[in-house]
Amino acid sequence: MPYRSVDRRRVLAAAALGRSLDEPGALPGDGELLRSVIGEILDVSPHLIVIDTPDGREERLVIAPWATAWRGEAVAPADLPPGAQVIIRALRSGRVVDRIWADITRITGVIQSVGSGSGDRTMELYCGPHRGRRTVVIPYRASGRLRVRHPQFEPGYLFDAIGVRENGVAQARLPATSQPPYRWTAVPEPPPGYSGAQSRISGTATWSDAFDHDEQGAAYPMLERSDADCQDAGVSCTGLPYLALGSMLNVRNVCAGRTSVLPIVACGCLAGRFCDRCLECGTSPRGRIVELSATAFVELGGDLTKGCFNARVGLG
Amino acid sequence: MLTTIAAAQLPVLAALLAAGALAKVRTAVNESEPGALSRLGPAALVVERWRLPALLGCAAGEVVLLVGLMLTGHSLFRWGAATFFAVSTYVLWELRRRRPDVGCGCFGEVSAIPVGLRSLGRTMVLTAMAVGTVWTPPVPGWAVVAGLTWSQLAAVAGGLLVLAALSPEIEEAAARLRHRAPCEQRPLDPSTALSRLRSSAAWRAHERLLSSTEPVDSWRELCWRFFVYPGHSHAGDPADVVFAIYLSGRHPAVRVAMVDAAGRPIEIGSLQESIPVSA
Repeated sequence: MPYRSVDRRRVLAAAALGRSLDEPGALPGDGELLRSVIGEILDVSPHLIVIDTPDGREERLVIAPWATAWRGEAVAPADLPPGAQVIIRALRSGRVVDRIWADITRITGVIQSVGSGSGDRTMELYCGPHRGRRTVVIPYRASGRLRVRHPQFEPGYLFDAIGVRENGVAQARLPATSQPPYRWTAVPEPPPGYSGAQSRISGTATWSDAFDHDEQGAAYPMLERSDADCQDAGVSCTGLPYLALGSMLNVRNVCAGRTSVLPIVACGCLAGRFCDRCLECGTSPRGRIVELSATAFVELGGDLTKGCFNARVGLG
Repeated sequence: MLTTIAAAQLPVLAALLAAGALAKVRTAVNESEPGALSRLGPAALVVERWRLPALLGCAAGEVVLLVGLMLTGHSLFRWGAATFFAVSTYVLWELRRRRPDVGCGCFGEVSAIPVGLRSLGRTMVLTAMAVGTVWTPPVPGWAVVAGLTWSQLAAVAGGLLVLAALSPEIEEAAARLRHRAPCEQRPLDPSTALSRLRSSAAWRAHERLLSSTEPVDSWRELCWRFFVYPGHSHAGDPADVVFAIYLSGRHPAVRVAMVDAAGRPIEIGSLQESIPVSA
Protein backbone atom coordinates (compact mmCIF):
# COMPACT_ATOMS: atom_id res chain seq x y z
CA MET A 1 0.00 0.00 0.00
CA PRO A 2 1.60 3.30 -0.97
CA TYR A 3 2.07 5.63 1.92
CA ARG A 4 1.41 9.29 1.31
CA SER A 5 2.08 12.27 3.47
CA VAL A 6 1.59 12.32 7.20
CA ASP A 7 -0.26 15.65 6.99
CA ARG A 8 -2.70 14.35 4.41
CA ARG A 9 -3.62 11.40 6.63
CA ARG A 10 -4.33 13.74 9.48
CA VAL A 11 -6.65 15.88 7.35
CA LEU A 12 -8.46 12.87 5.89
CA ALA A 13 -8.96 11.17 9.27
CA ALA A 14 -10.28 14.40 10.78
CA ALA A 15 -12.74 14.79 7.90
CA ALA A 16 -14.00 11.21 8.08
CA LEU A 17 -14.51 11.13 11.85
CA GLY A 18 -15.50 14.76 12.28
CA ARG A 19 -12.56 15.49 14.55
CA SER A 20 -10.93 18.83 14.99
CA LEU A 21 -7.52 19.25 13.41
CA ASP A 22 -4.83 19.39 16.06
CA GLU A 23 -1.90 21.53 15.12
CA PRO A 24 1.42 20.07 16.27
CA GLY A 25 3.42 22.04 18.78
CA ALA A 26 3.87 22.72 22.45
CA LEU A 27 0.80 23.32 24.58
CA PRO A 28 0.93 25.98 27.25
CA GLY A 29 1.78 24.36 30.55
CA ASP A 30 3.99 24.94 33.53
CA GLY A 31 6.76 27.46 33.12
CA GLU A 32 8.26 29.21 30.18
CA LEU A 33 8.13 27.61 26.73
CA LEU A 34 11.45 26.05 25.81
CA ARG A 35 12.89 26.26 22.33
CA SER A 36 15.49 24.01 20.84
CA VAL A 37 18.04 25.36 18.41
CA ILE A 38 20.35 23.12 16.47
CA GLY A 39 23.32 23.93 14.32
CA GLU A 40 27.08 24.04 14.01
CA ILE A 41 29.18 26.28 16.22
CA LEU A 42 30.82 29.09 14.29
CA ASP A 43 32.17 30.93 17.27
CA VAL A 44 31.76 30.76 21.03
CA SER A 45 32.76 33.01 23.89
CA PRO A 46 31.79 32.86 27.57
CA HIS A 47 28.74 35.04 26.92
CA LEU A 48 27.79 34.53 23.29
CA ILE A 49 27.49 31.63 20.91
CA VAL A 50 27.17 31.94 17.14
CA ILE A 51 25.79 28.95 15.29
CA ASP A 52 25.00 28.06 11.71
CA THR A 53 21.53 26.47 11.55
CA PRO A 54 20.69 23.72 9.02
CA ASP A 55 18.67 26.19 6.93
CA GLY A 56 21.74 28.37 6.50
CA ARG A 57 20.95 31.14 8.95
CA GLU A 58 23.42 32.46 11.47
CA GLU A 59 21.99 32.61 14.98
CA ARG A 60 23.56 34.55 17.82
CA LEU A 61 22.46 33.51 21.28
CA VAL A 62 23.32 34.87 24.67
CA ILE A 63 24.72 32.27 27.08
CA ALA A 64 23.05 32.51 30.48
CA PRO A 65 25.45 32.62 33.45
CA TRP A 66 24.07 29.30 34.75
CA ALA A 67 24.27 27.55 31.37
CA THR A 68 26.18 24.28 31.19
CA ALA A 69 27.43 22.25 28.27
CA TRP A 70 28.09 18.58 27.63
CA ARG A 71 30.50 17.05 25.19
CA GLY A 72 31.28 13.57 26.46
CA GLU A 73 31.47 15.13 29.90
CA ALA A 74 30.36 18.38 31.50
CA VAL A 75 32.34 21.29 30.08
CA ALA A 76 32.12 25.07 30.20
CA PRO A 77 30.23 26.42 27.17
CA ALA A 78 33.22 28.52 26.14
CA ASP A 79 35.37 25.38 25.84
CA LEU A 80 33.27 23.88 23.06
CA PRO A 81 35.22 23.63 19.81
CA PRO A 82 34.01 25.51 16.73
CA GLY A 83 32.57 23.08 14.21
CA ALA A 84 30.77 20.99 16.82
CA GLN A 85 27.12 20.09 16.15
CA VAL A 86 25.04 21.39 19.01
CA ILE A 87 21.52 21.13 20.35
CA ILE A 88 20.68 24.08 22.52
CA ARG A 89 17.85 24.40 25.01
CA ALA A 90 16.96 28.07 24.82
CA LEU A 91 14.75 30.33 26.89
CA ARG A 92 13.16 33.70 26.08
CA SER A 93 11.84 32.79 22.62
CA GLY A 94 15.05 31.03 21.78
CA ARG A 95 17.48 33.89 22.52
CA VAL A 96 19.09 32.76 25.78
CA VAL A 97 21.08 29.54 26.06
CA ASP A 98 20.17 27.38 29.06
CA ARG A 99 21.94 24.12 28.18
CA ILE A 100 24.12 22.91 25.32
CA TRP A 101 24.74 19.37 24.13
CA ALA A 102 27.56 19.13 21.60
CA ASP A 103 28.14 16.25 19.16
CA ILE A 104 25.77 14.12 21.20
CA THR A 105 24.51 10.89 19.72
CA ARG A 106 22.41 8.05 20.99
CA ILE A 107 23.23 4.53 19.99
CA THR A 108 20.22 2.24 20.33
CA GLY A 109 20.16 -1.15 18.73
CA VAL A 110 20.62 -4.87 18.87
CA ILE A 111 24.16 -6.11 19.34
CA GLN A 112 25.34 -7.96 16.25
CA SER A 113 29.00 -8.43 17.02
CA VAL A 114 31.49 -7.18 19.55
CA GLY A 115 35.18 -6.83 18.85
CA SER A 116 37.48 -8.74 21.13
CA GLY A 117 40.42 -7.28 22.96
CA SER A 118 41.01 -5.50 26.18
CA GLY A 119 41.31 -1.90 24.94
CA ASP A 120 38.74 0.06 22.92
CA ARG A 121 36.17 -2.29 21.45
CA THR A 122 34.08 -1.93 18.33
CA MET A 123 30.47 -2.98 18.39
CA GLU A 124 28.21 -3.57 15.42
CA LEU A 125 24.52 -2.81 16.03
CA TYR A 126 21.30 -3.43 14.14
CA CYS A 127 19.14 -0.35 14.57
CA GLY A 128 15.90 -1.50 12.93
CA PRO A 129 14.79 -1.96 9.31
CA HIS A 130 14.65 1.79 8.62
CA ARG A 131 17.85 2.76 10.34
CA GLY A 132 20.14 -0.01 9.26
CA ARG A 133 23.37 -0.88 10.99
CA ARG A 134 25.71 1.25 13.02
CA THR A 135 29.17 0.81 14.34
CA VAL A 136 30.06 2.18 17.73
CA VAL A 137 33.35 2.36 19.55
CA ILE A 138 33.35 1.60 23.26
CA PRO A 139 36.38 3.33 24.70
CA TYR A 140 38.20 1.42 27.42
CA ARG A 141 37.65 4.21 29.96
CA ALA A 142 33.85 4.11 29.41
CA SER A 143 33.54 0.35 29.28
CA GLY A 144 33.33 -0.20 33.04
CA ARG A 145 30.50 2.28 33.35
CA LEU A 146 28.67 0.73 30.40
CA ARG A 147 29.17 -2.86 31.53
CA VAL A 148 27.58 -2.15 34.90
CA ARG A 149 24.28 -1.39 33.17
CA HIS A 150 24.86 -3.64 30.13
CA PRO A 151 26.15 -6.95 31.48
CA GLN A 152 25.48 -8.88 28.27
CA PHE A 153 27.81 -7.83 25.46
CA GLU A 154 26.52 -10.66 23.30
CA PRO A 155 24.77 -10.81 19.94
CA GLY A 156 20.99 -10.62 20.25
CA TYR A 157 20.88 -8.43 23.36
CA LEU A 158 19.79 -4.79 23.29
CA PHE A 159 22.16 -1.89 23.73
CA ASP A 160 21.35 1.72 24.49
CA ALA A 161 24.01 4.30 25.20
CA ILE A 162 24.68 7.98 24.85
CA GLY A 163 27.91 9.11 23.32
CA VAL A 164 29.70 11.66 21.22
CA ARG A 165 30.54 11.76 17.54
CA GLU A 166 34.23 12.34 17.02
CA ASN A 167 35.62 12.42 13.50
CA GLY A 168 32.53 10.66 12.21
CA VAL A 169 32.81 7.81 14.74
CA ALA A 170 30.23 7.29 17.46
CA GLN A 171 31.88 6.77 20.83
CA ALA A 172 29.71 5.47 23.65
CA ARG A 173 30.11 7.27 26.96
CA LEU A 174 27.09 6.73 29.21
CA PRO A 175 24.57 3.92 29.49
CA ALA A 176 21.16 5.31 28.57
CA THR A 177 19.28 2.57 30.38
CA SER A 178 19.75 -0.74 32.12
CA GLN A 179 20.00 -3.46 29.52
CA PRO A 180 16.87 -5.61 29.33
CA PRO A 181 17.71 -9.13 30.54
CA TYR A 182 16.02 -10.82 27.56
CA ARG A 183 17.04 -11.09 23.92
CA TRP A 184 15.42 -8.61 21.57
CA THR A 185 13.07 -11.24 20.13
CA ALA A 186 11.78 -12.23 23.56
CA VAL A 187 9.94 -9.10 24.72
CA PRO A 188 7.59 -9.86 27.63
CA GLU A 189 3.89 -9.99 26.79
CA PRO A 190 1.81 -6.96 27.79
CA PRO A 191 -0.43 -7.49 30.81
CA PRO A 192 -4.02 -8.43 29.89
CA GLY A 193 -6.22 -5.41 29.27
CA TYR A 194 -8.59 -5.73 32.17
CA SER A 195 -10.72 -2.70 31.45
CA GLY A 196 -10.64 -1.66 27.83
CA ALA A 197 -8.12 0.72 26.38
CA GLN A 198 -6.96 3.64 28.43
CA SER A 199 -6.97 7.06 26.86
CA ARG A 200 -3.64 8.00 28.44
CA ILE A 201 -0.78 5.57 28.87
CA SER A 202 2.17 6.10 31.16
CA GLY A 203 5.65 4.85 30.54
CA THR A 204 8.99 6.18 29.48
CA ALA A 205 9.82 8.49 26.59
CA THR A 206 13.30 8.49 25.10
CA TRP A 207 14.99 10.31 22.24
CA SER A 208 16.80 9.25 19.14
CA ASP A 209 18.99 11.06 16.63
CA ALA A 210 17.64 9.00 13.73
CA PHE A 211 15.14 11.72 12.82
CA ASP A 212 15.76 14.43 10.27
CA HIS A 213 17.39 17.63 11.47
CA ASP A 214 14.98 19.87 13.26
CA GLU A 215 12.12 17.39 12.84
CA GLN A 216 9.44 17.57 15.51
CA GLY A 217 8.05 14.10 15.64
CA ALA A 218 7.86 10.81 17.40
CA ALA A 219 8.45 7.14 16.67
CA TYR A 220 5.76 4.85 18.05
CA PRO A 221 6.12 1.08 18.43
CA MET A 222 2.53 -0.07 17.97
CA LEU A 223 1.93 0.27 14.22
CA GLU A 224 0.31 -2.37 12.03
CA ARG A 225 3.07 -4.20 10.22
CA SER A 226 1.35 -4.01 6.86
CA ASP A 227 0.86 -0.24 7.16
CA ALA A 228 4.28 0.73 8.38
CA ASP A 229 6.10 -1.63 6.04
CA CYS A 230 8.07 -2.80 9.04
CA GLN A 231 8.15 -6.42 10.10
CA ASP A 232 9.50 -5.55 13.53
CA ALA A 233 6.63 -3.20 14.47
CA GLY A 234 3.74 -3.98 16.76
CA VAL A 235 5.75 -5.26 19.72
CA SER A 236 5.56 -3.70 23.15
CA CYS A 237 5.40 -4.90 26.73
CA THR A 238 2.80 -2.24 27.50
CA GLY A 239 -0.78 -2.52 26.34
CA LEU A 240 -0.49 0.13 23.64
CA PRO A 241 -3.25 0.85 21.14
CA TYR A 242 -2.55 0.65 17.43
CA LEU A 243 -1.87 3.99 15.76
CA ALA A 244 -0.52 4.97 12.36
CA LEU A 245 2.11 7.17 10.82
CA GLY A 246 0.42 10.56 10.83
CA SER A 247 -1.54 10.13 14.07
CA MET A 248 -1.08 12.98 16.49
CA LEU A 249 0.27 12.08 19.90
CA ASN A 250 -0.18 14.17 22.98
CA VAL A 251 3.06 13.64 24.89
CA ARG A 252 3.34 14.94 28.43
CA ASN A 253 6.57 15.10 30.36
CA VAL A 254 5.28 14.24 33.81
CA CYS A 255 8.51 15.38 35.46
CA ALA A 256 8.61 18.85 33.91
CA GLY A 257 4.85 19.34 33.48
CA ARG A 258 5.19 20.15 29.77
CA THR A 259 3.00 18.85 26.96
CA SER A 260 3.43 18.77 23.20
CA VAL A 261 1.33 17.48 20.35
CA LEU A 262 3.60 15.57 17.98
CA PRO A 263 2.95 13.59 14.82
CA ILE A 264 4.07 9.98 14.54
CA VAL A 265 6.63 10.08 11.76
CA ALA A 266 8.49 6.80 12.18
CA CYS A 267 8.15 3.25 13.31
CA GLY A 268 9.58 2.77 16.81
CA CYS A 269 10.18 -0.90 16.29
CA LEU A 270 13.26 -1.01 18.52
CA ALA A 271 11.84 1.30 21.18
CA GLY A 272 9.04 -1.21 21.72
CA ARG A 273 11.57 -3.92 22.49
CA PHE A 274 12.79 -2.09 25.59
CA CYS A 275 10.71 -2.94 28.61
CA ASP A 276 12.54 -0.56 30.90
CA ARG A 277 11.58 2.13 33.35
CA CYS A 278 12.63 5.74 33.66
CA LEU A 279 13.78 6.99 37.04
CA GLU A 280 13.85 10.67 36.15
CA CYS A 281 11.20 11.60 38.74
CA GLY A 282 9.92 8.61 40.63
CA THR A 283 9.70 5.27 38.89
CA SER A 284 7.74 5.19 35.68
CA PRO A 285 5.57 2.24 34.69
CA ARG A 286 7.37 -0.31 32.57
CA GLY A 287 7.69 0.12 28.83
CA ARG A 288 9.15 2.54 26.31
CA ILE A 289 6.04 4.00 24.75
CA VAL A 290 7.45 6.68 22.52
CA GLU A 291 10.76 7.76 21.04
CA LEU A 292 11.07 11.47 20.29
CA SER A 293 13.27 13.46 17.99
CA ALA A 294 16.02 15.24 19.92
CA THR A 295 14.50 18.69 19.38
CA ALA A 296 11.05 17.59 20.56
CA PHE A 297 12.65 15.88 23.59
CA VAL A 298 14.52 19.06 24.54
CA GLU A 299 11.45 21.25 24.12
CA LEU A 300 9.53 18.97 26.45
CA GLY A 301 12.14 19.68 29.11
CA GLY A 302 14.09 16.43 28.80
CA ASP A 303 17.80 16.18 29.43
CA LEU A 304 19.51 14.41 26.52
CA THR A 305 22.24 12.94 28.70
CA LYS A 306 19.69 11.34 31.04
CA GLY A 307 18.06 9.77 28.03
CA CYS A 308 14.45 9.52 29.18
CA PHE A 309 11.63 11.11 31.08
CA ASN A 310 8.46 9.74 32.64
CA ALA A 311 5.79 10.32 30.04
CA ARG A 312 2.06 10.15 29.65
CA VAL A 313 0.93 9.70 26.09
CA GLY A 314 -2.49 9.91 24.51
CA LEU A 315 -4.02 10.45 21.12
CA GLY A 316 -4.40 14.03 19.91
CA MET B 1 -16.88 -43.98 56.09
CA LEU B 2 -13.31 -42.68 56.25
CA THR B 3 -12.19 -45.51 53.98
CA THR B 4 -14.89 -44.55 51.47
CA ILE B 5 -13.70 -40.95 51.42
CA ALA B 6 -10.05 -41.98 51.21
CA ALA B 7 -10.72 -44.41 48.36
CA ALA B 8 -12.68 -41.78 46.46
CA GLN B 9 -9.66 -39.51 46.40
CA LEU B 10 -7.88 -41.80 43.94
CA PRO B 11 -9.70 -40.34 40.89
CA VAL B 12 -9.09 -36.83 42.28
CA LEU B 13 -5.36 -37.49 42.50
CA ALA B 14 -5.37 -38.96 39.01
CA ALA B 15 -7.19 -35.92 37.60
CA LEU B 16 -4.73 -33.54 39.24
CA LEU B 17 -1.72 -35.54 38.03
CA ALA B 18 -3.11 -35.62 34.47
CA ALA B 19 -3.83 -31.88 34.44
CA GLY B 20 -0.41 -31.05 35.89
CA ALA B 21 1.49 -33.23 33.41
CA LEU B 22 -0.49 -31.90 30.45
CA ALA B 23 -0.05 -28.26 31.42
CA LYS B 24 3.68 -28.72 32.03
CA VAL B 25 4.25 -30.35 28.66
CA ARG B 26 2.20 -27.62 27.01
CA THR B 27 4.29 -24.92 28.66
CA ALA B 28 7.51 -26.67 27.66
CA VAL B 29 6.37 -27.01 24.04
CA ASN B 30 5.02 -23.47 23.73
CA GLU B 31 8.00 -21.87 25.37
CA SER B 32 7.82 -18.62 23.41
CA GLU B 33 10.60 -16.75 25.13
CA PRO B 34 13.76 -17.93 26.74
CA GLY B 35 13.71 -17.16 30.39
CA ALA B 36 10.01 -17.83 30.87
CA LEU B 37 10.88 -20.97 32.77
CA SER B 38 13.04 -19.00 35.14
CA ARG B 39 9.82 -17.64 36.61
CA LEU B 40 8.25 -21.03 37.12
CA GLY B 41 8.39 -23.54 39.91
CA PRO B 42 11.20 -25.96 40.61
CA ALA B 43 12.78 -25.03 37.26
CA ALA B 44 13.77 -21.72 38.82
CA LEU B 45 15.91 -23.54 41.37
CA VAL B 46 18.19 -25.22 38.82
CA VAL B 47 20.66 -23.76 36.33
CA GLU B 48 19.35 -22.59 32.99
CA ARG B 49 20.21 -25.57 30.84
CA TRP B 50 18.49 -27.96 33.26
CA ARG B 51 15.26 -25.99 33.43
CA LEU B 52 13.45 -27.63 30.53
CA PRO B 53 14.58 -31.15 31.53
CA ALA B 54 13.48 -30.43 35.12
CA LEU B 55 10.01 -29.38 33.96
CA LEU B 56 9.66 -32.33 31.62
CA GLY B 57 11.06 -34.71 34.24
CA CYS B 58 8.44 -33.51 36.68
CA ALA B 59 5.74 -34.11 34.05
CA ALA B 60 7.14 -37.59 33.31
CA GLY B 61 7.02 -38.45 37.03
CA GLU B 62 3.40 -37.39 37.14
CA VAL B 63 2.55 -39.53 34.10
CA VAL B 64 4.22 -42.61 35.65
CA LEU B 65 2.29 -42.15 38.89
CA LEU B 66 -0.94 -41.52 36.98
CA VAL B 67 -0.58 -44.69 34.91
CA GLY B 68 0.43 -46.72 37.97
CA LEU B 69 -2.48 -45.48 40.08
CA MET B 70 -5.05 -46.01 37.38
CA LEU B 71 -3.94 -49.40 36.07
CA THR B 72 -2.70 -51.18 39.18
CA GLY B 73 -3.63 -51.30 42.80
CA HIS B 74 -0.01 -51.75 43.90
CA SER B 75 0.87 -49.85 47.03
CA LEU B 76 4.21 -48.82 45.47
CA PHE B 77 2.47 -46.20 43.34
CA ARG B 78 0.36 -44.99 46.26
CA TRP B 79 3.42 -44.54 48.40
CA GLY B 80 5.07 -42.98 45.35
CA ALA B 81 2.28 -40.42 45.00
CA ALA B 82 2.47 -39.62 48.70
CA THR B 83 6.22 -39.13 48.47
CA PHE B 84 5.88 -37.06 45.30
CA PHE B 85 3.42 -34.63 46.92
CA ALA B 86 5.39 -34.51 50.17
CA VAL B 87 8.54 -33.63 48.26
CA SER B 88 6.55 -31.07 46.25
CA THR B 89 5.42 -29.45 49.48
CA TYR B 90 9.02 -29.18 50.61
CA VAL B 91 10.13 -27.83 47.22
CA LEU B 92 7.39 -25.20 47.22
CA TRP B 93 8.29 -24.23 50.77
CA GLU B 94 11.91 -23.89 49.70
CA LEU B 95 10.87 -22.00 46.57
CA ARG B 96 8.82 -19.57 48.62
CA ARG B 97 11.82 -18.97 50.85
CA ARG B 98 14.46 -18.68 48.14
CA ARG B 99 12.56 -17.18 45.20
CA PRO B 100 9.44 -15.43 46.52
CA ASP B 101 8.86 -13.89 43.09
CA VAL B 102 8.35 -17.04 41.05
CA GLY B 103 5.22 -19.08 40.58
CA CYS B 104 4.90 -22.74 41.53
CA GLY B 105 4.56 -23.90 37.92
CA CYS B 106 2.35 -26.75 39.11
CA PHE B 107 0.12 -26.23 36.06
CA GLY B 108 2.72 -24.74 33.77
CA GLU B 109 2.63 -21.07 32.93
CA VAL B 110 -0.86 -20.56 34.38
CA SER B 111 0.76 -20.98 37.79
CA ALA B 112 2.92 -17.90 37.42
CA ILE B 113 1.46 -16.30 40.54
CA PRO B 114 4.03 -16.34 43.36
CA VAL B 115 3.76 -19.34 45.66
CA GLY B 116 1.39 -18.53 48.49
CA LEU B 117 -0.17 -20.35 51.35
CA ARG B 118 -2.91 -21.66 49.06
CA SER B 119 -0.47 -23.44 46.75
CA LEU B 120 1.33 -24.84 49.76
CA GLY B 121 -1.96 -25.89 51.32
CA ARG B 122 -2.92 -27.65 48.10
CA THR B 123 0.17 -29.86 48.05
CA MET B 124 -0.35 -30.64 51.74
CA VAL B 125 -3.95 -31.71 51.05
CA LEU B 126 -2.74 -33.77 48.09
CA THR B 127 -0.13 -35.44 50.31
CA ALA B 128 -2.80 -36.27 52.87
CA MET B 129 -5.05 -37.68 50.15
CA ALA B 130 -2.24 -39.82 48.77
CA VAL B 131 -1.33 -41.14 52.23
CA GLY B 132 -5.02 -41.90 52.78
CA THR B 133 -5.21 -44.07 49.66
CA VAL B 134 -2.44 -46.33 51.02
CA TRP B 135 -4.86 -47.86 53.54
CA THR B 136 -7.68 -48.40 51.09
CA PRO B 137 -8.30 -51.70 49.27
CA PRO B 138 -5.66 -52.35 46.58
CA VAL B 139 -7.84 -51.93 43.50
CA PRO B 140 -6.76 -50.13 40.32
CA GLY B 141 -7.99 -46.58 39.76
CA TRP B 142 -10.15 -47.49 36.77
CA ALA B 143 -12.05 -50.00 38.91
CA VAL B 144 -12.71 -47.28 41.52
CA VAL B 145 -14.02 -44.94 38.79
CA ALA B 146 -16.16 -47.68 37.29
CA GLY B 147 -17.71 -48.60 40.61
CA LEU B 148 -18.32 -45.16 42.10
CA THR B 149 -21.26 -45.06 44.47
CA TRP B 150 -23.22 -41.88 45.23
CA SER B 151 -21.45 -41.43 48.52
CA GLN B 152 -18.08 -41.85 46.82
CA LEU B 153 -19.14 -39.40 44.10
CA ALA B 154 -19.91 -36.85 46.79
CA ALA B 155 -16.47 -37.48 48.30
CA VAL B 156 -14.83 -36.97 44.87
CA ALA B 157 -16.73 -33.70 44.41
CA GLY B 158 -15.76 -32.64 47.92
CA GLY B 159 -12.08 -33.36 47.22
CA LEU B 160 -12.18 -31.44 43.96
CA LEU B 161 -13.90 -28.49 45.66
CA VAL B 162 -11.26 -28.32 48.38
CA LEU B 163 -8.53 -28.37 45.73
CA ALA B 164 -10.33 -25.75 43.61
CA ALA B 165 -10.57 -23.48 46.63
CA LEU B 166 -6.82 -23.86 47.10
CA SER B 167 -6.02 -23.13 43.43
CA PRO B 168 -5.14 -19.55 42.57
CA GLU B 169 -4.82 -20.67 38.93
CA ILE B 170 -8.59 -20.85 38.48
CA GLU B 171 -9.03 -17.10 38.98
CA GLU B 172 -6.19 -16.36 36.58
CA ALA B 173 -7.63 -18.64 33.88
CA ALA B 174 -11.08 -17.07 34.28
CA ALA B 175 -9.63 -13.57 33.99
CA ARG B 176 -7.80 -14.52 30.82
CA LEU B 177 -10.98 -15.85 29.26
CA ARG B 178 -13.14 -12.94 30.34
CA HIS B 179 -10.91 -10.03 29.32
CA ARG B 180 -9.85 -10.23 25.74
CA ALA B 181 -7.56 -7.45 24.61
CA PRO B 182 -9.68 -4.45 23.69
CA CYS B 183 -10.18 -3.78 19.99
CA GLU B 184 -7.55 -1.01 19.99
CA GLN B 185 -4.86 -3.46 21.02
CA ARG B 186 -5.75 -6.41 18.82
CA PRO B 187 -3.92 -6.87 15.52
CA LEU B 188 -6.61 -6.93 12.83
CA ASP B 189 -6.28 -7.84 9.20
CA PRO B 190 -6.82 -4.98 6.73
CA SER B 191 -8.46 -7.35 4.22
CA THR B 192 -11.31 -8.09 6.67
CA ALA B 193 -11.99 -4.37 7.01
CA LEU B 194 -11.85 -3.99 3.23
CA SER B 195 -14.43 -6.72 2.69
CA ARG B 196 -16.66 -5.17 5.38
CA LEU B 197 -16.34 -1.85 3.55
CA ARG B 198 -17.21 -3.37 0.15
CA SER B 199 -20.41 -4.83 1.58
CA SER B 200 -21.51 -1.60 3.28
CA ALA B 201 -24.21 0.83 2.19
CA ALA B 202 -21.74 3.73 2.29
CA TRP B 203 -19.58 1.98 -0.31
CA ARG B 204 -22.52 1.39 -2.66
CA ALA B 205 -23.63 5.01 -2.30
CA HIS B 206 -20.20 6.40 -3.18
CA GLU B 207 -18.82 3.83 -5.55
CA ARG B 208 -19.71 5.88 -8.63
CA LEU B 209 -17.63 8.80 -7.33
CA LEU B 210 -14.44 6.75 -7.26
CA SER B 211 -12.10 6.76 -10.22
CA SER B 212 -10.39 3.58 -9.04
CA THR B 213 -11.48 0.76 -6.78
CA GLU B 214 -7.94 0.26 -5.49
CA PRO B 215 -7.17 2.33 -2.40
CA VAL B 216 -4.21 4.70 -2.65
CA ASP B 217 -3.59 4.78 1.10
CA SER B 218 -4.72 2.82 4.12
CA TRP B 219 -3.90 3.07 7.78
CA ARG B 220 -5.26 2.09 11.13
CA GLU B 221 -5.81 4.31 14.14
CA LEU B 222 -7.19 2.79 17.34
CA CYS B 223 -10.27 0.82 16.34
CA TRP B 224 -10.72 2.51 12.96
CA ARG B 225 -9.21 1.61 9.61
CA PHE B 226 -9.09 4.20 6.87
CA PHE B 227 -9.07 3.61 3.12
CA VAL B 228 -8.47 6.46 0.70
CA TYR B 229 -9.61 6.28 -2.94
CA PRO B 230 -9.04 8.76 -5.74
CA GLY B 231 -12.33 10.17 -6.92
CA HIS B 232 -14.18 13.25 -7.97
CA SER B 233 -16.83 15.42 -6.38
CA HIS B 234 -20.35 15.89 -7.75
CA ALA B 235 -19.07 19.02 -9.48
CA GLY B 236 -16.36 16.95 -11.18
CA ASP B 237 -13.33 18.26 -9.29
CA PRO B 238 -10.71 15.70 -8.30
CA ALA B 239 -10.93 14.75 -4.65
CA ASP B 240 -9.96 12.01 -2.21
CA VAL B 241 -12.74 9.84 -0.85
CA VAL B 242 -11.87 8.48 2.59
CA PHE B 243 -13.75 5.67 4.28
CA ALA B 244 -13.37 4.88 7.97
CA ILE B 245 -14.45 1.43 9.11
CA TYR B 246 -14.88 0.47 12.75
CA LEU B 247 -13.00 -2.74 13.30
CA SER B 248 -15.25 -4.43 15.84
CA GLY B 249 -18.55 -6.16 15.14
CA ARG B 250 -20.00 -7.92 12.11
CA HIS B 251 -21.82 -4.90 10.69
CA PRO B 252 -19.50 -2.11 11.71
CA ALA B 253 -20.06 1.60 11.34
CA VAL B 254 -18.62 3.07 8.13
CA ARG B 255 -18.00 6.79 7.86
CA VAL B 256 -17.16 8.53 4.64
CA ALA B 257 -15.83 11.97 3.73
CA MET B 258 -14.51 13.70 0.66
CA VAL B 259 -11.57 16.04 0.80
CA ASP B 260 -10.27 18.22 -2.02
CA ALA B 261 -6.64 18.68 -2.94
CA ALA B 262 -6.28 21.66 -0.65
CA GLY B 263 -7.47 19.66 2.36
CA ARG B 264 -10.98 21.15 2.61
CA PRO B 265 -13.85 18.72 3.21
CA ILE B 266 -16.47 18.67 0.46
CA GLU B 267 -20.12 18.20 1.28
CA ILE B 268 -21.13 14.90 -0.29
CA GLY B 269 -24.72 14.40 0.78
CA SER B 270 -27.15 15.56 -1.94
CA LEU B 271 -29.50 16.78 0.78
CA GLN B 272 -28.53 17.73 4.26
CA GLU B 273 -30.29 15.48 6.70
CA SER B 274 -30.92 18.24 9.15
CA ILE B 275 -30.53 21.95 8.91
CA PRO B 276 -29.04 23.48 12.02
CA VAL B 277 -31.26 26.20 13.44
CA SER B 278 -29.97 28.82 15.76
CA ALA B 279 -32.39 30.54 18.00
